[in-house]
Amino acid sequence: MDNQQELDIISSIRGEVMANRELTGENLFLAWGYPTVFFLIVEFVALQVWNEDWCGWIWAGIPLIGIPLMLYFVNEDYERTHHRTLDQNVIMMMWVFIGFACCVGGFAMGMANVYRQCLFPLIGLMCGMGCFMTGIILHFRPKTVCGIIASALSAVPLFLQGDLWHWQLLVTAVIVIIALIIPGHLFRRYVRKSYIKQ
Amino acid sequence: MSTFKFPVINPLLHSELRLKIMVALASLESADFTYLCEITDCTRGNLSVQIATLKEADYITVSKTGVGPLSHTVCHITQKGRSALQVYEDGLRQMFDERVPSREAEESKKSVN
Repeated sequence: MDNQQELDIISSIRGEVMANRELTGENLFLAWGYPTVFFLIVEFVALQVWNEDWCGWIWAGIPLIGIPLMLYFVNEDYERTHHRTLDQNVIMMMWVFIGFACCVGGFAMGMANVYRQCLFPLIGLMCGMGCFMTGIILHFRPKTVCGIIASALSAVPLFLQGDLWHWQLLVTAVIVIIALIIPGHLFRRYVRKSYIKQ
Repeated sequence: MSTFKFPVINPLLHSELRLKIMVALASLESADFTYLCEITDCTRGNLSVQIATLKEADYITVSKTGVGPLSHTVCHITQKGRSALQVYEDGLRQMFDERVPSREAEESKKSVN
């Protein structure tokens, strides 16, 4: 092998890897979006019916459902494509960080008794930012736009304080629908279409 | 006379299959055995020997899950492997750039003669 051949091998393998990269993660937004909306609505209803302190912790069920679902879909993606790209890893790590930040922030705010003021704007903002950055990394415009809208709406719960604080849950559910469920379905359709083309 | 010094070629990467494995892994975060088999177009036995060689040199890490037919081997490139590949590629380019002007000079000499 002379050095010209070696340079050719390097560029051809690089080109082949880039050409064979498959879009994945089409179910991850939905895996987090639906449990989040479900638990937020359950918490809202529970607070309307019982209005007790324990109802305020129902949101903690989100990671209990979201994490196993996420791990299942990540494994499924790997079994299908047999590789993971740097972009996919960055996006996954970013969402894991966002999930941890929301959970740790939620517990800390619960302990500090500022849960009613700050938690839901934080969750909304985190989801919006994550969606925006995912859209930028994947060059998928609907996610970028939905992320901007969700981030802007995350300020709304700040104005629902005092007796109105229960309504923060429903506003956050709407933000999650905009940040995760709508772009999740759009991305899923886009990925399915790209399979059909291949 | 030219004062060009040929860079030392890393013998570990001076093999077509090992070079292919390293380039594929450097372009990705991780890849499993099946993917590497497809992209390098080689047999499973040959690939496993080359992976073991690269692992021994700490150029890649290999993680295995499961047992028997359900086992799953995933390879990642290490920082050492990434920098070795970079040095190797730079060396090749350097040699190539040196060779091209000297070839051109030889050809122009021939045409003058």
